[in-house]
Amino acid sequence: MSPKTVTYEQLAGISACLALAMVANLGSLPVWVLATVAVSGGIRLLLARRGRPAPPRSVRLVIGVLAAALLFLQFRTFNGLSAGTALLVLMAGLKLLETDTRRDIYVITLIIYFVSLSALLEGNSFWLLAYLIGVCWLTTATLLRLTSTVPAPDWRRSLRYAGRILTQALPLALVFWLLFPRFAGPLWHIPDAGGTAGSGLSDTMSPGDITELALSDEIAFRVRFATAPPPPQERYWRGPVMHEFNGHTWRRAKSTSLTAPALQPQGPAYRYTLSLEPHQHNWIFALDWPSHWDLPRGALTSDYTLVQPEPVSRPMDVAVTSYTRVQSPEPLRTRLRQLDTKLPADRNPRTAELAQTLRGAHPDDMDYVRAVLNLFTEQEFYYTLTPPRLADDSVDKFLFDTKRGFCEHYASAFAVLMRAAGIPARVVTGYQGGTLNRFADYWIVRQSDAHAWNEVWIEGRGWLRIDPTSAIAPGRVEHGLNDAVSADEPLGSRWHRSTPWLADLRLRLDALGQIWRERILFFDQDSQQKMLEWLNIPEPDGQKLVMVLTAALSLVLAWLTWAVRREIAPTRKEPLIRAYSRLCAKLAALGMPRLAHEGAEDYAARVAQSRPDLGPAVTALCRHYSILRYATAPARITVGQFDAAVRAFRPVRKHVK
Amino acid sequence: MRTLRQAAIDRLRAWAARRHGRDSLPITISRRRVYILPTRFGIMLALMLTAMLIAGLNYNSNLGLAFAFLMVSVALVTMHHCNRNLLGLQVDVTTEADAFAGREASFEFMLRNEANVDRRDVEIRCMTAAGMRSVLARSNESIRVDVPVPRRGVVRLDQFELRTRYPFGWFHAWTYVQASLTAYVAPSPQGNRTLPAVGGTGSASRSETRGDEDFAGLRAYEPGVPLKHMAWKVLARGGEAAVRSYSSLAAQPEWLEWSSLEGQDTETRLSQLCLWVLESEAAQRVFGLRIPGKEIPPARGPAHRFACLRALATYAIAEPR
Repeated sequence: MSPKTVTYEQLAGISACLALAMVANLGSLPVWVLATVAVSGGIRLLLARRGRPAPPRSVRLVIGVLAAALLFLQFRTFNGLSAGTALLVLMAGLKLLETDTRRDIYVITLIIYFVSLSALLEGNSFWLLAYLIGVCWLTTATLLRLTSTVPAPDWRRSLRYAGRILTQALPLALVFWLLFPRFAGPLWHIPDAGGTAGSGLSDTMSPGDITELALSDEIAFRVRFATAPPPPQERYWRGPVMHEFNGHTWRRAKSTSLTAPALQPQGPAYRYTLSLEPHQHNWIFALDWPSHWDLPRGALTSDYTLVQPEPVSRPMDVAVTSYTRVQSPEPLRTRLRQLDTKLPADRNPRTAELAQTLRGAHPDDMDYVRAVLNLFTEQEFYYTLTPPRLADDSVDKFLFDTKRGFCEHYASAFAVLMRAAGIPARVVTGYQGGTLNRFADYWIVRQSDAHAWNEVWIEGRGWLRIDPTSAIAPGRVEHGLNDAVSADEPLGSRWHRSTPWLADLRLRLDALGQIWRERILFFDQDSQQKMLEWLNIPEPDGQKLVMVLTAALSLVLAWLTWAVRREIAPTRKEPLIRAYSRLCAKLAALGMPRLAHEGAEDYAARVAQSRPDLGPAVTALCRHYSILRYATAPARITVGQFDAAVRAFRPVRKHVK
Repeated sequence: MRTLRQAAIDRLRAWAARRHGRDSLPITISRRRVYILPTRFGIMLALMLTAMLIAGLNYNSNLGLAFAFLMVSVALVTMHHCNRNLLGLQVDVTTEADAFAGREASFEFMLRNEANVDRRDVEIRCMTAAGMRSVLARSNESIRVDVPVPRRGVVRLDQFELRTRYPFGWFHAWTYVQASLTAYVAPSPQGNRTLPAVGGTGSASRSETRGDEDFAGLRAYEPGVPLKHMAWKVLARGGEAAVRSYSSLAAQPEWLEWSSLEGQDTETRLSQLCLWVLESEAAQRVFGLRIPGKEIPPARGPAHRFACLRALATYAIAEPR
């Protein structure tokens, strides 16, 4: 077999590496691509096992064309991350099918490296990075075994050598990563992944939606306050606002303009950084009510939700300033008033009747609001995570029959009662509260903190936040969900509540994750600037960054050169051999070098023959050496004494006449 | 493209020869003489790394960038390791080789690795011929390089090359050693004339009566004697190992004469003489060689054989300086 052809073992190694790299991309690869690659790898391995070559060219060509066509049908493009990755993986799989020579394997290793990278472009976890570095290590070791012709090293040696190269690369990579200038935005537009549904709030709200979220422990976002955090009853994180009601489900307005009526801030400003997890919608959960934000394309809708043009599909950080108390100086626009007083005519008749009765007794708007809230506390309403399912006229059912509900039931009923009395009202969804991570001083807001509340328009005062849930379960707003529901409710985080150390552990892990996120994932131009400032470089800019990069690279490369060459420096010999070499060198300087085959005593005899004057001294020294070295007789002097004797030996050059 | 590349390589070889001068063997490869360039696969890797970096920057993905930079660094480290694979190796070579026209001249290279790391996949190239070996830590390895020699004469190589692509085949490090390797290419042994009879042209009658069969007695065995001359019966009887000796083989020198091949062209004559030399040597005869301008007195043994073959190789060809 020629050295250029590949063996079964090499094929198996590279197939395993490809499989491992594909695992990291499982989420984005179509199933049939995975299947194709698996089948072609399997076929090739089977053939190789029996010592047979790759299948004929025509078969490979047909499969290749078919696969590419299918891929194009699925993605409609080869541009973009998912399509590109799928194409590359497919290419690697088909390459595996035709692998006969080393060249083919080289191509596959390149694909493995690139596919690993594409998994990282979308991912953001430390473990993914560690896993892919591991894959890269294995691939590199496989490459090492491929290149060697004569006695192939065992796997352990290959892994060790590849590992050493990776370790030596780490400092260099760190310098590159820290100092390579980052750009502010993408170089060109990236096609959106699209279609991937996110968890969390959506732009509709039906009874039961938020209840479902309350069971989820998933993190929605984290908040780090630059100022003191607002008191618990003011921690409302504003999401989509619902205006349209069909008797069962609330929806956002079909067209919301991006011109928010001015608000007059009152009270202290709260500055904070939101670290959003991707949720595939374009709203940003700012503290009620946001006034400034460092989002270049961010804007407030007419109902004060902070939005950006594209959905939040990757983790992002936003710095926002909010005021928890505001006043609206402008009158309510007619279009908005119409929108927020509209009710479906023939739905929830009993609620409408109730509203008429109550309104008759309380003509003042604020009085009416209080009367409705009293209704919730005086009658036997329950705040529960397991409300009965509600059919068409959900508000009637809830108010008069079941009387058990979660926040969305109360918000929905409250808004309907307001609108039925002619008071503009809307449902705001978002999050309320949050948990302080006392180990790292930031707040965690989970899906279980999802909430719905109301805003009513009171003439002369503007929009007023009313949270009917706080009337029925005041603890929900003050302390969070855990304290507001009874102990037998199926709450997601119950387990953590009953074992405090586990909750602490979870907080600590989250704090670590947050450090990873702030220091690594969101390392950017600002961070580089801060780093240069820390290095005491005046007026840091891109040019200086490149200069620092160059300097650091030179240092690390010099270290690398030294480190790599040090390994081939002849090993330091033991003192005895060093002393003997010194003796030989002294004699060589007299024109009598020791021959390669000569032992110490033969050498001494030869020297004695040509220089009888040195004979006794050299013979004695060489005798000592062979005794010390080979222990042919009990040694009479130590190595140190031998070394001293050699140093003292100063033969004179004799002129040849 | 091909010729352009070849021209570049030739210029580099000439430049390296001027720069380093003649080397004395054995030579230790120093870092000033090791050159390194990416291989074709290395260039593919570089393109891919560029694509990885652009992707990382475009997606603003710090993890992607970290991975891409790690791979760039691995490539840079690999460059150092590839270069190191040759550094400090001691190289020695048998500077002379004997061969027959149409076959290969085999040069034996000795590589000595005193370092504590393996030097894998070290390749030695002379002209188009190459040999590859791995020299493990603190060991020696010899590499045979068979240089094809199509024609009789003296082939002299002024330079050989050590190269390696280890560890990953991304880089190609090499060095030129300026040392003269000489191959004495004897004529291809062939011809249809039988070996001249012992004693030269005038001894035909004597060989009829005595010939090879002229048993002259027994003498003590010495290594190298053809097995067919062993006195097996003596050995079987429990005596000392002995060989039969024949007067015609032992005593009568035989002359292989250029002049006896009258009427043929030079190369045919040389080929025939070469064949005779090999046959005579195989038959353990004492023979001498007489060609115009050179006479090698009768003798026997490998050294004599080489002397005769070299005389045939260099006939009418200037000896190298």
